[in-house]
Amino acid sequence: MSIRDRVARLMAELPAEPQFPTHGRTVFVDLARQQTQSAYTPKRIVESLLSGRGANMFYLYRLLDESLHPLHPDIPLIFGSGILTGLVPSAARGNCTSWSPETGVILDSNVGDYFPSFLRMNGIDHLVLYGQCAEWTLMVVREGAIEFRDARPYVGLDNIDMRARIQADLGGVWTRDMSMANITRAGENLVLTAGIMGGPKAIYARGGPGAKMGSLKLKAIVTLGATKEFATAMPYKPFNRQIAQKLLGTSVVKHALSITGTPFLYRPSRLLGAMGTKNNQETTWTEALDADHIDRYRPGMEGCFRCPVNCRPLNELTSDPADKYGRGDGPEYVTLGKFGPNIGIDRIEPVIRLNNICNDLGFDTASMGSAIAWAMELYQRGIITTAHTGGLELTWGDAELVERLLFMTARREGFGNVLADSTRAVEQGHYPQEALRYRMAVKGLMQSDPHDARILKAFALGLAVATRGMDHLRNRVTLEINAKINDDPAFKERLYGGPVSAEPTSYVDKERAVRACENIYAVGDSVGMCRFTTKLFNSPSLPGLEEFSGQIANVTGLSISPDALDRIGLNVMGVERLINHRLGVRRKDDTLPERWFDEPNPSGRYAGEKIDRAEFDAMLSRFYAISNLTDEGVPIDAWRRELETTLAPTA
Amino acid sequence: MAVTVYLPAMLRLHSGGADTLTIHTPVFTLADVIAALDRKAPGLAAELDDSVFNYAVNDEMLLHGVQQHPVKDGDRIEIVPAISGG
Repeated sequence: MSIRDRVARLMAELPAEPQFPTHGRTVFVDLARQQTQSAYTPKRIVESLLSGRGANMFYLYRLLDESLHPLHPDIPLIFGSGILTGLVPSAARGNCTSWSPETGVILDSNVGDYFPSFLRMNGIDHLVLYGQCAEWTLMVVREGAIEFRDARPYVGLDNIDMRARIQADLGGVWTRDMSMANITRAGENLVLTAGIMGGPKAIYARGGPGAKMGSLKLKAIVTLGATKEFATAMPYKPFNRQIAQKLLGTSVVKHALSITGTPFLYRPSRLLGAMGTKNNQETTWTEALDADHIDRYRPGMEGCFRCPVNCRPLNELTSDPADKYGRGDGPEYVTLGKFGPNIGIDRIEPVIRLNNICNDLGFDTASMGSAIAWAMELYQRGIITTAHTGGLELTWGDAELVERLLFMTARREGFGNVLADSTRAVEQGHYPQEALRYRMAVKGLMQSDPHDARILKAFALGLAVATRGMDHLRNRVTLEINAKINDDPAFKERLYGGPVSAEPTSYVDKERAVRACENIYAVGDSVGMCRFTTKLFNSPSLPGLEEFSGQIANVTGLSISPDALDRIGLNVMGVERLINHRLGVRRKDDTLPERWFDEPNPSGRYAGEKIDRAEFDAMLSRFYAISNLTDEGVPIDAWRRELETTLAPTA
Repeated sequence: MAVTVYLPAMLRLHSGGADTLTIHTPVFTLADVIAALDRKAPGLAAELDDSVFNYAVNDEMLLHGVQQHPVKDGDRIEIVPAISGG
């Protein structure tokens, strides 16, 4: 069945009218024919999966033809904003979802900035894109109407120039009445580490969404139109004020996020001996990259739409306007780690510069930095040589070389063509089979963050079971790093709904904490809340299910209790696992890189820690059991039937 | 006896801007250190009663067992704010 037939079948059962106040349209866009049709997500789906990431999974489940391949134009690319996106402080986010060309499993990537909120301001909750444009195309969403423009004049533009040209040509003002999701040259060239930019730094990063959008020959989606007030079921702004006060009163926001941003984490990670260094061969690195060394280059902080936190650090290395990469947004902790210790760079200035280049070239810094680190270790070990690299010597810490590699990757030139295939470099025949032993990836996705998880077993389990691959933002039990919480077992038990060992290196009951985090983070993605300001990620006192439930009721009139939301978080994971199962994912894929099982952590108080295979396997089984999953990691029969009934075509 | 405590920027309001406080009174555990800090800088103990703050002793970060952790003459203790990121 073609995608058009699948969409037609789906359209026949979708409601033609909004199901609740603030409900936005789902717009199906046939890019090949430049035709659109609209409907609304059924209420039963919203009550089971919410919006954003959750409803995106409904659309992917129904429209995916797994007999094709991820870059086939009949595989849809789906954008979705959360049910509270644009309405609640710090809820500025949305997801894009597809079948990942980088990993072969689900692609599901989240972004903030302004695009997801402005899409909703145009009355759109979801955009389902399929078919390949005949020529490079620009899609403009103006006051809710969609028009298609010739994007050939923009082909070859990276993020900085693209944003300048679009603003000049379309006449809007960023952050006021215009936003954009766009690809760069890397996306045009189907580079698997290419994301979809959602702002100067914001990026739908993980899983190669830039390559997917490039395969559809869609250069950008631009929204235009003034922000508006939504007509809600009940007054919601007084409760917004409470949420904002809660955000700003939380110590992690007050002390760290609003002042320095996420680079703060570099220091505790390296003091712990958990900072992935030189592709995780080592686990600590220089104090020269501590966040306070960035202070002198940080002229201010920025934020996403209507977010009071403003956690995004800006940077200025030079006041010379001719230096394109002398200023920018970031770096975040992930980029600091991936382009600092992970590739052996020990000065802050080149890290900031490489961050600015990645923002322009549209790279997922996690996958890109990891692909370079993997290549450097292979070179160090003699598994690849200058014969593979076109004469380049892949030396740790060579920032000039890394800069050159980034541009080569964006163009798929020389060895850049190898890096552009990311985790698939062995499958594509670039590296020998033994290279896989040193690939720091799970389910084909390079690790998202630089934290070496041999110490904290809850972190390790989370990385293994995350549905999109090796990524901490899906279920990281971050509070395992907070000594005060570990030293208060009763409080810890209340946080996770049952006992969890206070000993960070223990395997005991860690599955319970991962389950709790995976549920609340899936709900956070589906309402549009930022992970940094969702309960359990950075603090036990940030907004969580209670606040989400209250504002969903105020905004939409839907009554979904905190317990029901927790169940929805589980449902989202369940649907993702059903899709992954169709794509061939099994228990063997819920695992970790070989290095973490075999090589002890080399430094710090927890030197010697590694992952015990039997203990890990037992913890995985317990995780499956409390998650209603079979031994192969898919929903047990009764729940599977329930999910399939919800997702299936209605009569 | 001398135990040196390094404070992150956000706590230096309590130390008159200094990045370190040195404790000369006898201390045997981190709980003793926190109490001694509060005597030097009243209000600091209450500020430290917050899950965002961790402790590193001689450059090794503690993840649990903080209050009872032994401290000896010459130790270097650092208060480390710990958050996560993306």
